[in-house]
Amino acid sequence: MTIFAANSPVATRAVADRPSELKRAQARAGYLFILPSFVLYLIFVLAPVIVTFLLSFTYYDPIEGATFVGLDNFRRFLTDDRSLQIFWNTLRFAFFAVSFNVGVGLALALALNRAMPSWLLYFFRLAFFLPVIIAAAFVSIVWSYFYGDELGVINYYLIQLGLTPVRWLTSSKTAMMSIIIMDVWKNTGFFMIIFIAALQGVPKTIMDAATMDGASYWRRFTKIILPWISPVIFFNIVYASIGALQVFESIVILTAGGPGDSTRSMSILIVEEAFGSFEIGYAASIAVVLTLVILLLTSLQLLGSRRWVSY
Amino acid sequence: MQTKSRARWANRAIIAVMVVLGIFMLLPFMWLFSMSFRPVADAYKMPPSFLPQNFDLTNYRAVLASDVPFLRIYWNSVQIAVLVTVGQLVTCTLAAFAFARLDFPGRDSLFFIMLVGLMFPAQVTIIPIYLGYAETGLLNRPVGLALMYLTSSFGVFLVRQFMRSQPKALEEAALMDGAGYFKIFFRISLPQLRPALSALGIITFTQTWNYYFQARVLLEPQESMTLPVAMDMLRGFMGQGNLSMVMAAMSMAVLPVILIFLVAQKLVVEGVTMSGIKN
Repeated sequence: MTIFAANSPVATRAVADRPSELKRAQARAGYLFILPSFVLYLIFVLAPVIVTFLLSFTYYDPIEGATFVGLDNFRRFLTDDRSLQIFWNTLRFAFFAVSFNVGVGLALALALNRAMPSWLLYFFRLAFFLPVIIAAAFVSIVWSYFYGDELGVINYYLIQLGLTPVRWLTSSKTAMMSIIIMDVWKNTGFFMIIFIAALQGVPKTIMDAATMDGASYWRRFTKIILPWISPVIFFNIVYASIGALQVFESIVILTAGGPGDSTRSMSILIVEEAFGSFEIGYAASIAVVLTLVILLLTSLQLLGSRRWVSY
Repeated sequence: MQTKSRARWANRAIIAVMVVLGIFMLLPFMWLFSMSFRPVADAYKMPPSFLPQNFDLTNYRAVLASDVPFLRIYWNSVQIAVLVTVGQLVTCTLAAFAFARLDFPGRDSLFFIMLVGLMFPAQVTIIPIYLGYAETGLLNRPVGLALMYLTSSFGVFLVRQFMRSQPKALEEAALMDGAGYFKIFFRISLPQLRPALSALGIITFTQTWNYYFQARVLLEPQESMTLPVAMDMLRGFMGQGNLSMVMAAMSMAVLPVILIFLVAQKLVVEGVTMSGIKN
């Protein structure tokens, strides 16, 4: 805008006025353009988050409103045996679901990261990605029939093969494992795709040189591939954890949190406390704990993305 | 020479194993479609079928004729998904244009505030929204669920990133010619955004179609339900014997997403993985 540097006094004035006017017009347009998005964001994200944090320090009565109770709700969550078991369930589910989702995803990516005809590529994308985009609520219902004790599809084949049927969902020893198996079936394709993209970035020249030098596949994997994709592994672990900690519908549909409390997750507890028992303040404090764990992971990701990279 | 042919065989063997694994991945879907065509009386007959023997639509008709307002529920899902998709395309694109192309005081901090939203799970916003909806009469109304997703931090971020990768020479030239910002946005920026908008549209539609947690809390009566919650209810409602009917309903429920996926596979895969990568 300052290209037409002033030659005459008249020009100087015209140019001096225009930029500031333009600037104002631009600012006006800017605020106008972000207005709908920003207002909706304030109403439906930011304000509710703040209110939930405030509610977590209160006892909320539907008629009388909120009374401040300090850290009572958090104390209750951290000392109650039941809520601690549910917290532990959630962490345990997240640990195994994340390990297998990311581990299996990487193995699948290594297997599929090779030249193949495009119809095969289409088939593989279909097979491994379809579960990712179909609602957990839908596929969990299908799996609930697969996991049935007497009439279940899996047990039918186990019996046909002469094996003992498994009480997939009705025993507190196996229910969590069954939910994790379904979760890996559903989500591992997502991590596979991200790993394939990362593997395609591994420089071919280095790989070829290592092969020429007679490096075994295992050596190439640990010395070249693994370091190269380590930031992506880290990203996948964090991303999978954030999703796994919020696990809800697959458990609601498969076991409804049972047998007993053996598969109940924090998200289920939040809904039950808030909208079942109307313990709003307590439910808010559980939501805050869940959010803090997620924020911790996200900040780890931000810090780690700088340090973990090791080429 | 020998190592080369051995490598080729290893290659083929791995692909063969993966094909088998791929078919196993698809079994739940094959079973669900196949069962939806089985007569109710044979629903639990073993062995289960994974390939349909016929295409008898009796179960589908039975779902539509049942006491459950299935069409109403389906319409709720369509309505919400369309509203949210259109809403996000509009609000996110407008905001992204401002964040990517315009200069105004506080722009970067406002953008940062919006990005923070990516970190909050639905669990931490649902309680106040529920209380607010109960107060304003939006509870148990499908439009309420649509309302809370009319914009998204992710959408703003995605479109902004895409816009920044596009040259802005045309926009600057138009500005020099005295065109207003709205004209520039509609005439020049918007047409360039097609790839980003189709990706955002597809992700948003499937995501909204699949919402369960929020829908379960905010939409309780049958007439206001969406498909994911309704399917869970149908399972209990239609009872154990009517497995075939439940699967017929389920086939109809998953159809839109499967069709989108079959037609625009690459776009869906790229879109969904992009939505994961965020920042």
